[in-house]
Amino acid sequence: MSNIALLTGNQAIARGFFEAGGVVAASYPGSPTVEIMESLKEYKDMHAHWAMNEKVALEIAIGGSFAGARSLASMKHVGVNIAADPFMTFTQIRTHGGFVLVVGDDPGLSSSQNEQDSRFFAKFAHCALLEPSTPQEAKDYVGLGLSISEEYGMPVIIRLTSTLCHSRGAVLLGERTPPSIAGFTPDQARYCMLPPHANAQQHFMQERIAKLALATDSLALNTYEDTDRRDVLLVTSGLPYQFLAELDLGYSVFKLGLCYPLPIAKLKEIAAEYARVIVIEELMPFIEEQLRAAGIDASGKQFFPFTGALTTDGIRVGLVRAGILQQGTTGAGTPPPAIPRTPMLCSGCPHRPVFHILQKAKALVIGDIGCYSLGILEPFEVLKTNLSMGASLGIMQGMAMAHRTADKARAFVAVIGDGTFFHSGLSGFANITESKENITIIVLDNRTTAMTGGQPTPTTGDLGQATHAISITEVLKSFGIQDISVADQFDYSNTKNVIMGAMKRDGLSVVVVTRPCALNFDVREPHFYVDRDICISCRACIGVNCPPISMKVYEGQNKKNSYIDPNMCVGCSVCSQVCPVKAIKRSTAPEEARP
Amino acid sequence: MTTNILIAGVGGQGLVLATRIVGGVAFRAGLQVKTCDVIGLAQRGGMVWGSVRFGHAVHSPLIPEGQGDFLLAMEELEGLRWVSLLKAGAVVVLSRETILPNRALLEKDDYPKDVPAQLATHGLKTVCVEANSIARQLGNKRLANTVLLGALSNYLPFAPDTWLEVLRESVPSATIELNEAAFGLGRTPSL
Ligand code: SF4
Ligand code: SF4
Repeated sequence: MSNIALLTGNQAIARGFFEAGGVVAASYPGSPTVEIMESLKEYKDMHAHWAMNEKVALEIAIGGSFAGARSLASMKHVGVNIAADPFMTFTQIRTHGGFVLVVGDDPGLSSSQNEQDSRFFAKFAHCALLEPSTPQEAKDYVGLGLSISEEYGMPVIIRLTSTLCHSRGAVLLGERTPPSIAGFTPDQARYCMLPPHANAQQHFMQERIAKLALATDSLALNTYEDTDRRDVLLVTSGLPYQFLAELDLGYSVFKLGLCYPLPIAKLKEIAAEYARVIVIEELMPFIEEQLRAAGIDASGKQFFPFTGALTTDGIRVGLVRAGILQQGTTGAGTPPPAIPRTPMLCSGCPHRPVFHILQKAKALVIGDIGCYSLGILEPFEVLKTNLSMGASLGIMQGMAMAHRTADKARAFVAVIGDGTFFHSGLSGFANITESKENITIIVLDNRTTAMTGGQPTPTTGDLGQATHAISITEVLKSFGIQDISVADQFDYSNTKNVIMGAMKRDGLSVVVVTRPCALNFDVREPHFYVDRDICISCRACIGVNCPPISMKVYEGQNKKNSYIDPNMCVGCSVCSQVCPVKAIKRSTAPEEARP
Repeated sequence: MTTNILIAGVGGQGLVLATRIVGGVAFRAGLQVKTCDVIGLAQRGGMVWGSVRFGHAVHSPLIPEGQGDFLLAMEELEGLRWVSLLKAGAVVVLSRETILPNRALLEKDDYPKDVPAQLATHGLKTVCVEANSIARQLGNKRLANTVLLGALSNYLPFAPDTWLEVLRESVPSATIELNEAAFGLGRTPSL
């Protein structure tokens, strides 16, 4: 048993890279693929690197591959958009060291801003697309993908979905193949992508895909489960295959591990034997459209949703719609829906006072991506746009221009975190330095990429194990920005004065707020409590919206007063600073005496 | 036959570790195992869940509707949320813990009353566990999940030694003895 382990899809990808003699791996943290890099970092003898953004991560892996080392880049689906520029040109080059791009799609948007189907990138880039359905396959497909990459001279995309990334299954462990690294051999025709070299590669890309499509039988990636029934052939891939297997229906199934290119000739031959061909796939009809284009009378999306994660229940419903199954039975019944529980900023989160100040100031705030995206939700509802990493700066600039032209000039505020600042905020800042509009940018420097589990940023410095930190204020000064102030959010009134002052000044002003992430750096001070003899039940503290603070009827009372759960409060003091009658006080009781 | 266990809680309660431990025990016992947890935005105090499925041929890591045999609820409201995933007669191990969701803090929603009684109306067998007070008596509120695992272990076909083995490998080494004690108190409540 000892060489079998229970691994998540993410851990299995890391293991596969290790065993296949992988050398250079890079990533930028984003759910659902964060754990790939975290697991890779546990292996010795390889480079596992958190890069500043997905483009840099991809380029690092490209460099490794150019030098003949097996390389991997991992990222969430929207990260591929950032990395698409180098990827679309890199794919033209005949690959040297095996190269896999592992992408985590997020059907259902459990932690993403869009639901794009990354499989289309494979077709777009004329490269192979592998879709594992179990952690074991996830591990195996890394080695297979690297081999395909080397043999056919193309990058290979391994596409996961959030459920597979986070689901565990048994994985057979093997030994590491020792890496062999040939080193980089200069060859301008191969590596310099300009005409005429790049022109020739257009033909190369077509040929390699055609060649791979013919070789799929020998690759053991696709399986045909022929049950002798000839009424329906189900074509599927990835986790939907496992969901389907759960129903144990007895229909023939063609399971694709290689979703691009498809073994079209073979599928045509098999499909001809069946009365109906039904494709079961999540999101867009990627497989279905390829089959139809090849003249196979396939259907699918008319029965299955184009959005959301597919499950066993979803497949059952779709097959009922397709007239293949009868309606099933259910279990304990459907109770009235329980009240929702939306995510919240943590106790002691340093973003909270900033949102509270901006809400009271009725500021027009352009949001960005990170934990602070939660400023969209009630009760703050202060962020008015949320798009993509670093987008706040350009959006605000354009909006301000349009408003001025319409004689509707006003103060604009943007918020951006330290991770996003270095990911793709720098160019937006460089662009905005000379703006004459009334623009205030608040940099929420909490010294970590908090949303994805606390990976370091260039400002982490001595709070982590880094030897040096880049100062955001110094960077911005070097851009020629004059109006920069710094504030500590836990000094509420000073932070308020600094932000309000900056909003009043014309031109660009920057406020860098400096409190570190409460969760990641485990900030914990003696808790606060409400002195209910003083509390006037005004609910000002409720507006601060910290998880420990609620209104409750204390014993022997007939009205509600504020209450702070001492087990949840981490003692940041912000609620006490907004209470108009100073009813919230810091406990002097030692930790053990907490009720 | 596949056994389906759903674990539900609030982001930050340590659900991923609990899922890993339950899955690890079934795996150690030689069964086929699939698990899943939600990770992501919901971790910031949102609703989170995990699934563990074990048996002789397990395909999906997710529990189909109406198939859940057990629900381990780390919080009362979260115990109510997933009833439609459970079989009639399923066992709910319910921690007597309430964490107000945002809209309850804002007085826009009322937190549900008498959750055990509500679960009973759906024909579920509810086992209430004072996991937090037991954990606090042991001096560390993070032991609450281990107390709950102890309670759940009474209903699953695995030896206590297997549980303890996996537990020891999964928790910080400085807390092994406390976790063993918490597991024991969950398994055999001293009345
Ligand atoms: S002091 Fe107030 S705002 Fe700060 S963590 Fe405690 S309850 Fe929350
Ligand atoms: S802000 Fe102060 S007075 Fe108002 S409800 Fe809260 S504790 Fe009571």
